Amino acid sequence: MLRTSELPERDVLEADPRSTVATRGLSLSGLISWIARPAQTPRSAKTVRFVRKNTSIVLLVVLLIAGASVSPVFFTVDNLFNILWAVSVLGIVALGQCILIITCKFDMSVAFTVGLSGVATITAQNAGVGLLPSFGIGILTGVAIGLLNGVIVVTTKANPFLVTLGSSWLVYSIALAITNSKTIGSPYESFGTLGRGRLFGIVHYSVVIFLVLAVALEIVLRHTAFGRSLFVIGINQRVAHLSGTRVNRTVILTFVACATAAAMAGLIVSSRNGSTVANVGIGMDFESIIAVVLGGTSLFGGRGGALRTVVGVLVLGVLNNLMVLLNFPIEAQQIAKGSIFLLIVWMDSFLREDKR
Amino acid sequence: MIALARALGRQTAVIVFMGIFLLFTVLQGSMFTSAINLSNISRQVAIDAPHVMGQVIVLISGGIDISVGSVMAMSSALTIGLQEYGAVWAVAAALAFGAAVGAVNGLLVTKGKIVPFIATLGTMGVVRGMVLAYTEQRSIPGTIENFGFWGGGSLGMVPVPLVISLAIMIALWWFLRYTVTGRGFFAVGGDKETAYLAGVSVARFQFTAFVLSGTLAAVSGVLLASRLDSANAQIGVDTPLLSIAAAIIGGASILGGRGGVIGGFLGITSLGMLSTGMNLMGVNTYYQIATRATVLIVVVVVDALIVNSKLSAARLPLERKMDEHLRKEVVIV
Repeated sequence: MLRTSELPERDVLEADPRSTVATRGLSLSGLISWIARPAQTPRSAKTVRFVRKNTSIVLLVVLLIAGASVSPVFFTVDNLFNILWAVSVLGIVALGQCILIITCKFDMSVAFTVGLSGVATITAQNAGVGLLPSFGIGILTGVAIGLLNGVIVVTTKANPFLVTLGSSWLVYSIALAITNSKTIGSPYESFGTLGRGRLFGIVHYSVVIFLVLAVALEIVLRHTAFGRSLFVIGINQRVAHLSGTRVNRTVILTFVACATAAAMAGLIVSSRNGSTVANVGIGMDFESIIAVVLGGTSLFGGRGGALRTVVGVLVLGVLNNLMVLLNFPIEAQQIAKGSIFLLIVWMDSFLREDKR
Repeated sequence: MIALARALGRQTAVIVFMGIFLLFTVLQGSMFTSAINLSNISRQVAIDAPHVMGQVIVLISGGIDISVGSVMAMSSALTIGLQEYGAVWAVAAALAFGAAVGAVNGLLVTKGKIVPFIATLGTMGVVRGMVLAYTEQRSIPGTIENFGFWGGGSLGMVPVPLVISLAIMIALWWFLRYTVTGRGFFAVGGDKETAYLAGVSVARFQFTAFVLSGTLAAVSGVLLASRLDSANAQIGVDTPLLSIAAAIIGGASILGGRGGVIGGFLGITSLGMLSTGMNLMGVNTYYQIATRATVLIVVVVVDALIVNSKLSAARLPLERKMDEHLRKEVVIV
């Protein structure tokens, strides 16, 4: 049996790249393709392939080195833990978004799901529900929103982007109506443990949840039939259906998983603040998509992974942290983030061989 | 039921528009249909209409533009901030800025081969940063007297911005319907491959669509600046979603190849009437948002059901069917 690892490297088989440079002339794109040209020896070819497929990892390393060289505070354990703590909420949302994007769907309602789950939890606590049951209520809110999104998308085959855009407003209005547009506080002292507490006094619980969730999702995606079916659905729903996947059920489950992750993030945020408002997660819809795309998951579905998303989230986190350490004004931070995002996506689409 | 829906098929915008109009006329009578109220609604709608029409054109050509809100904010800031050079130059600079951002979007999509959603998401962030830097997060007051005429003035009972928006709408309607270039957008958005094989320059149309959208978003920004006679950094934060929703209610498809500027105009008017009518009734903001959400979901779902029933009604060969299916899978091209 011929195994894929025994097949010759595709890059080696390609025509001499120098000819492409000649035909392209002296353009920026020509220069980049020359820099990223396939090497002649298999080992460096492997390196080049790795770089091509993992632009975000390379960028993360570059950012870490840059950070270490410009700021003495950057490479301290405290600061690195700080970065992880700061990104863990967005990270959990992005992980949910990531599996949905692998199936070629979107969830624009995650931002307000973060808000509503926190609101539901704290409202329940104020109504006399115990601490742990109130967590259950928060999570259940997420499950309900995911079910709503999933069922509408599956039964009507409507565009998921638009459906979840509509449901995000619906979720927001519910959260606003419950809180009357005010900040509501939790009656429990110990509620803050989830967001601010540390496991063994070292790592924040939210970071542990984020990383464990990422590893678990990666295992599910790579090593279970369910996880792999998500990729098939992302590439071609019809093929997935014909090959025996229960597409509808899987898609609904994925929507539920995504919204549940957002609800979990909502619990952590409200626990961190000890209080919450309806719009606490605002902007996370776009930001989570940015993180997922930065990690190298394809918006067309069928390509991506949970650990990739962690890298994408970390890139955003390190970038934020560096700009704060270097005292960048907020507007410069915004411009820099946007430009770097565009640059990476452009490089990524340029360097990728299969253009998918 | 399906047959009725199909007969009304493409006229979702008209139905939603008439429905909401009749609803509030019945509920509130002369209070809603009074000349002052209608003129208020149309003024608010006319300011938002240009960016919705820009969004419609981008959607027709198979793209999506998330950056409209930021462009609107920056162009209104430029309109106010550059008034020392005279109103004409300030407005020209604002419109040029919109066109330039549109051109950047177009280049990112056509040359950079970045998905429109992602490309415009990036420029949205960059331009928002520019807005924060330019306004220094404060409100800038206008200095030119009478500049408010363009956004706040009236010709008789008709608000000036409505005249401007209607003129733009008619021009764009004619352009999209009766010129070869205009129809090209539908070709490109309907099926890129076929358009390419038919000799249409796909990239040029996509580029033009983004430039038009950027410029029209800037027009919205100028009108808003004139209406408020000031500019601030918070303008247009929720505009992209509003703009997409109005375009979709107006019959545009996120899959491309479908839509019209008149529909887009009716779409934004429906949303405007909805919020004004509910304000008059003293309905809470929460329920207003919920109603807007419900209208959007219902329109999207009904539209999807109609498209699906059409697909299954037409007996396509299996191959073609799978092809259709594939195209539907690409969420945002």
